Amino acid sequence: MRLRLSMIFVCAMLLLGSCTVVKEYQKVYINDPDMELGPNKADRFETNFQVYREAAAGANGGKTGGGCGCN
Amino acid sequence: MVVKQVVDVDAINVIMNKFFLVLSIACLRVSLSYAQQNTKDSTQTTYKKKVLDAAEVDFLFSYYGQNGKHSAVGGGIGTEKLTDVTPTIVVKIPVKDDGQITADMGISAYTSASSSNINPFDASAGASRSGGFYYGDDDEDEGRGRINNPTGRANPYYESTGASRSDALKSLNLTYSHSSDNRNTILSFHGSLSTEFDYDSRGFGAGITKLWNEKNTELGVKGQVYLDQWHPIYPTEIKSYYEAGGNLNYGFFNGVTITGNANYSPVPGFQFPQVTNRNSYSVSVSFSQILSPKLQTSIFFDVVRQEGLLSTPYHRMYFSDRPASFIEDYQLADDIERLPGMRMKYPIGIRLHYYVNEHLTVRSYYRYYFDNWGAEANTASIELPIKLSQAFTIYPMYRFYNQSAVTYFAPHRQHVSTERYYTSDYDLSAFESHEIGGGFRYTDIFQKFKIASFGFKSIDLRYNHYMRSDGLNANIISFAAVFTL
Repeated sequence: MRLRLSMIFVCAMLLLGSCTVVKEYQKVYINDPDMELGPNKADRFETNFQVYREAAAGANGGKTGGGCGCN
Repeated sequence: MVVKQVVDVDAINVIMNKFFLVLSIACLRVSLSYAQQNTKDSTQTTYKKKVLDAAEVDFLFSYYGQNGKHSAVGGGIGTEKLTDVTPTIVVKIPVKDDGQITADMGISAYTSASSSNINPFDASAGASRSGGFYYGDDDEDEGRGRINNPTGRANPYYESTGASRSDALKSLNLTYSHSSDNRNTILSFHGSLSTEFDYDSRGFGAGITKLWNEKNTELGVKGQVYLDQWHPIYPTEIKSYYEAGGNLNYGFFNGVTITGNANYSPVPGFQFPQVTNRNSYSVSVSFSQILSPKLQTSIFFDVVRQEGLLSTPYHRMYFSDRPASFIEDYQLADDIERLPGMRMKYPIGIRLHYYVNEHLTVRSYYRYYFDNWGAEANTASIELPIKLSQAFTIYPMYRFYNQSAVTYFAPHRQHVSTERYYTSDYDLSAFESHEIGGGFRYTDIFQKFKIASFGFKSIDLRYNHYMRSDGLNANIISFAAVFTL
């Protein structure tokens, strides 16, 4: 059930995809480095220790598990 | 009642079918619009900007220190003191106009009090006297002793100086990515290697990212495989017990005083793990959408399957239904951690970033996680980059995390020997944590400053403090300097 709900959530966001069009010349704020959707360069070390110290991992564009003797 | 449930299930199925029908139509529409735009873009392409203008080198460094009192090596009790230093270099090299190779090389050098107690008897009669009796063990070093231990006796709350006290994880990741002429399709391939004393890993994967809707919408799918291999080391008393053929007057145990239950043995039927590999397979889906000129979001969804030896072979277990045996103040293990050979993980996360004004941006993140071991977790974090000038930014942050325990967790000596799976690793217990910190970034937008032929681009320095409700505390300092060639 939780998996199905998660899938529905993802699909709902996919549907949202074609609703908005911000033109290139309007992306001055979106292109600000602080608006980047990925983690910062220095974040990787925090993500790394969290993967060891916590049961949860993944869904952050980084480590999903594997490649280490971690949880 | 049963009839009502059947009706409910039917209703849900009808709704789901309708939902997926709508979804299919929507996806078809998106695909068509993408195809149209793709055609338009390909005919209009007259100039393309390089994916990466110049080679870039990132020098990264972190110092991590933690302390706690629930060591998994001690079966849920004992020191968790650990320090880790990780220097890393990331080199990005452009390949023609459309490609990029990224090489990520790092060494994670750690010192762990917890790991040192895989052999806590390093200065005791027995372990230190048995010379070449141990083969392939981590405790054959010279100069054994105990650190900051006023009692001079083996004790889970003090670290020893066995070889397992320190180790280095060396890793190499290579990624190649290629963008289409219109930059709306990005393919990537990666391979990785890492090795440490008792663990090796090989990984590979590939991904595809599609952008459409005038690059307002982005969908990425990535698959990764890790083929990992344990070279297991075991608690020294268990390994020695079987090496001595169960004879407590021979080898390690010769001349050692065992108190409590003097007739020590591991749990009846004890077996060393037959499977020593750990494979991880994951599929990650990411979806990003610009919602307004100042707001954008991204959703991440992973499915991870892990199989093989998912427990850690040097984590001790103590059972409440077995008599306790001690050497000095250290209880001898009844067994090692046992966990199922398969785990499915389902994390889903969302980022929402909002540009408030030229001085302030809000970066927020939430993740819900569950797995088939019974753990559920919530993660929420917020970061507020504040621009003090065009070059200087400070960014305070806060992160909250909570999780429920996995089904197989119980604290020290609360499992019984008749259970099939058990762990006293507090990383898998129920807890909540708070992380607070911040950093600053200096960006040289014109790259005027140079070191040799490296043009300085930016520098980040960050400090965070982590507090877990079971008493574990950690500090992490991270540093990143980016140069271009």
